[in-house]
Amino acid sequence: MEDLSLPKIDYAAVAPMLILFGVACVGVLFEGVLPKAARRVTQLVLALLGLVAALSVIVWQSDTRVLTAGGAVAIDGPTLFLQGAIIVLGIMALLLIGDRAMEHGGAFVAQAAITVGSEADRKQAVKEQGATEVYPLTVFAIAGMLLFVAANDLLTMFVALEVFSLPLYLLCALARRRRLLSQEAALKYFLLGAYASAFFLFGVALVYGFAGGVEFGTIHDSVTESTQSTVLLYAGLAMIAIGLLFKAAAAPFHVWTPDVYQGAPTPITGLMAACTKVAAFGGLLRVLYVGFDGVAWDYTPILGVVAVLTMLIGAVLAVTQTDIKRLLAYSSIANAGYLLVGVLALSKDGLSSTMFYLVAYGFTVIAAFGVVTLVRDADGEATHLSRWAGLGRRSPLYAGIFTFILLAFAGIPLTSGFIAKFAVFGAALDSGEAWLVVFGVVTSMLLAFPYLRVVVMMWLSEPGESTPTVSIPGGLTAAALVIGVVATLVLGVAPAPLLDLTTSAADFVR
Amino acid sequence: MSLSPYVPIIGMFALAAGFAVMSVAIAPFLGPRRFNKAKLAAYECGIEPSPEPIGGGRVPVKFYLTAMLFIVFDIEIIFLYPWAVSFDSLGLFGFVEMLLFIGTVFIAYAYVWRRGGLDWD
Amino acid sequence: MNALLIVVLAVPAAGAAAAALLPDRVGRIAGTVAAAVALLASLPLYRDSWFSYGPAGVRPWHEVDYSWVPALNLHFHLGVDGVSYPLVVLTALLTLLCCGFTLWRAPEPGRGNTLVALLLVIEVGILGTFLALDLVLFFVFFEVVLLPMYAVIAVWGDRDRAHAARKFVLYTLFGSVLLLVGVFTVVASAGTADIVALTGGGELSRTTQLVAFTLLAIGFAVKSPLWPLHTWLPDAHTQAPTVGSVILAGVLLKMGTYGLIRVAVGVAPEGARWAAPVLGVLAVAAIIIGSLVCLAQTELKRLIAYSSVGHMGFVLLGIATLTATGIQAALIGNVAHGVITGLLFFLAGAIKERAHTGDLAQLGGLRETAPRLAGVLGFAAIASLGLPGLAGFWGEAFAVVAAIDRGGPLWTTLGVVAAVGGALTAAYFLRLLRRVTHGPAIGSLAPPTLAPVEVAAWAPLVVLALAVGLVPGLVLGMADGPVQALLEALP
Repeated sequence: MEDLSLPKIDYAAVAPMLILFGVACVGVLFEGVLPKAARRVTQLVLALLGLVAALSVIVWQSDTRVLTAGGAVAIDGPTLFLQGAIIVLGIMALLLIGDRAMEHGGAFVAQAAITVGSEADRKQAVKEQGATEVYPLTVFAIAGMLLFVAANDLLTMFVALEVFSLPLYLLCALARRRRLLSQEAALKYFLLGAYASAFFLFGVALVYGFAGGVEFGTIHDSVTESTQSTVLLYAGLAMIAIGLLFKAAAAPFHVWTPDVYQGAPTPITGLMAACTKVAAFGGLLRVLYVGFDGVAWDYTPILGVVAVLTMLIGAVLAVTQTDIKRLLAYSSIANAGYLLVGVLALSKDGLSSTMFYLVAYGFTVIAAFGVVTLVRDADGEATHLSRWAGLGRRSPLYAGIFTFILLAFAGIPLTSGFIAKFAVFGAALDSGEAWLVVFGVVTSMLLAFPYLRVVVMMWLSEPGESTPTVSIPGGLTAAALVIGVVATLVLGVAPAPLLDLTTSAADFVR
Repeated sequence: MSLSPYVPIIGMFALAAGFAVMSVAIAPFLGPRRFNKAKLAAYECGIEPSPEPIGGGRVPVKFYLTAMLFIVFDIEIIFLYPWAVSFDSLGLFGFVEMLLFIGTVFIAYAYVWRRGGLDWD
Repeated sequence: MNALLIVVLAVPAAGAAAAALLPDRVGRIAGTVAAAVALLASLPLYRDSWFSYGPAGVRPWHEVDYSWVPALNLHFHLGVDGVSYPLVVLTALLTLLCCGFTLWRAPEPGRGNTLVALLLVIEVGILGTFLALDLVLFFVFFEVVLLPMYAVIAVWGDRDRAHAARKFVLYTLFGSVLLLVGVFTVVASAGTADIVALTGGGELSRTTQLVAFTLLAIGFAVKSPLWPLHTWLPDAHTQAPTVGSVILAGVLLKMGTYGLIRVAVGVAPEGARWAAPVLGVLAVAAIIIGSLVCLAQTELKRLIAYSSVGHMGFVLLGIATLTATGIQAALIGNVAHGVITGLLFFLAGAIKERAHTGDLAQLGGLRETAPRLAGVLGFAAIASLGLPGLAGFWGEAFAVVAAIDRGGPLWTTLGVVAAVGGALTAAYFLRLLRRVTHGPAIGSLAPPTLAPVEVAAWAPLVVLALAVGLVPGLVLGMADGPVQALLEALP
């Protein structure tokens, strides 16, 4: 029997992922052994410590540029930047997840399996503490995302995709209020997500058939050199793209987004809108820039159409929404379109501006969902837009914060939204994708109207009987809000440091 | 490319399929027919079959737990077997990896056990 | 001196924050003080216009240039020259007057400190627009104005304020998008956003210039507003509170004309030359249509609002000629319109407040019931209709002169028609005076006398209207050099 040669592993470079997987496992163990009362604090502290430790390692390793684990994992500039972004945004989301000040027991249900509407269900809705499994699940999801953006071959990428998707499917089903909606969201997300994963996997198989390997380096070489029929290549790439665009919520693979964003517990929606977006686009960037850059001419027009469609659908349908979470979901779809514009610049600028956009958007969107968790009445969060009328009178501070966030979404100057849009559009223009930019600017204007409508509603309407109160946020939510709003402002006024960072990080290793 | 290495595999598939079809096909002719009450009742993991509630019932979640637990250990065995076969060449690295793997599986097991997944009622 | 450019922007911004955070009364005082400091800081920016020579089409007296976002090649580049200086001072002055006015009386529903804060934010945006020498920075400041102005109209406005505010936002956003696309086009094809470097359009191909000018000009035309994109203006003016109207007419519209001169014409001169006839025809159409509509107006504020359309028509006609005289006329017309229309809106506000109506049919005999008010109104109206010796004259006269100087059948016709429009201007203002100040007294005004604050707010404008009218060199002198520089840079 021949000797197996074991791959070399640069443990320092993959340490952030190891730490988080370890922390998640320990978290599961704690669920088993700790008494109920001690679980929440322990889990929260453990998860936060794990994330901070992983972040420190990333900062410490920030100059690493290496292919490791037999070429399965690439630790390079984009990986480290995106991993750092996912962790920072993950910390914010975790703060929202951990807060129990607004609602007794937190935003999560205690026993998700209890029949909705039964006596036991009603009882647990008001009395029981929320499930603490959400913390290890969140950490698993974040760890999966870290691996996803670092994956240097399609198979590792697929495994990472499943690792971060499965916990998210579960988390979506755990909302304390509106259980049916939450379960529907989870089931929908799971079924469509499984479908998309299958597409991805099938695409991997086809590409393997073409290239004879799944590493991006191998694929790159055979894309540029191979003389055999390209049917397998194009079919495979198309299917892989479908799998990734599904996660990124790009049209026409976006239909799950509004339902899932609405049904999921709001902190989880924030996690999905920020971190999943970063991960999905991180994966997409690596696939397109490293693996398939040889056929850029062929896929750019198609993905361009997808981008335009995404922006249009997101912007147009956002206008008609009456639920704040659905509105933010459609806005998230439109933002996926803007991100695609940056991706399709297919240049160093495109890469760095897309990464900047991801971070800028992530901070803002988590803060937005943070505010949504605060506006509530006796039945939980009041997400119908008509209920937000007159909120400015009830609570000028939070209405002001939300206004600022919406202005950032609308891309008004002096917010991070403007700089981010400016950066991606500039990169696309430099690459000669003017048509994408025209659509981008026009849809940005369209998209400004739903935002302005909410602003007008909050400030110019009289508060009515049904205007909900704004809860005083717990310390954790307040911290997440402060981080999000400050980041939105700072990245709008002085974006230079982060842009420099993205520029210096914008080099893939192959 | 020669297909000859695949011939035995195809033969194997044909044999397996043939055996399965044949077993099902000839059972009605060869088997003795001695019915009793238990044979006609629905099979529910060996316990007393519960009458189905009106409007369709829900299968107790306990069945899923058992099934999941089975899969957990099933998968573990699948990985353990090839590792054991090539234990020598994998060396210490493989040993540590397998310990970690078993460790994670046992974490899941401990979770299920502590949270009452093993109690039937 | 250069640091003053920063101070001029930072002080109102700080004042806005202070006004918003402090309690009502104290906040208003803090905001007014900030506006006063900003005015004082803007005055010493002046320098002799022949100070700087050079090849560039823009030769700032003072400038600061910090790298803002190196990765995107954005600069925080501010500068002031003879084109922008009068507008900067005018902005600072009008904002101070409005803040002081609000100190005395905040319109319904109160919360004067918030109003002052918004006015100061608007001031930051307008001043920044006038000072910016970086195209993207220019756009950023241009956008800053939008939402505070919206809030001013939508919160403190008249009965139909929500509709007017929405219309204002819709139009302005539309303009902004075109402007943004234009800015993108220019920046992407020239590789720089520096207005100094871009002026003259040397970097850009003819096609790019045509596209860029069209986009930029439409964007600015919405703001100016140029007929037929003006319809938001009467609504916004009629519904806005007095201070909002003053700022809107006095300086906010100037962002459009200033942008047209500095950015659209400066950056894409080929495009400007190509589009000049169209611009000229539209400008003259605005003059005639604005005047005719004014003749039919029955509401005081609406009439003044439409008169703005006519006056901005003269300014645009001046720009469209692309001659030194024409652009000079546009600049002085800008300043004169800012001073006079600011004053007119103050007066209209005062009258409406006393008579509780703006309907011309229900006003009358002001000469008897409130002689002082009637006197000032008469002065402002006459200044606005362009009586020689008052500020309004120079801009209109020279715009016509420039058009006729330009020669050719088209421009001569435009000049003649514009002159007829000038006569119509006189007609509707005289009609206004006949209706409001003369005739039998209808109802009574309470109080008939002027409050000291009103006198204080109006006096500087009256003095300026006289001063600019008698010594047009005040504005023309300092604008001479920069305009020459701009025209020299054009191919």
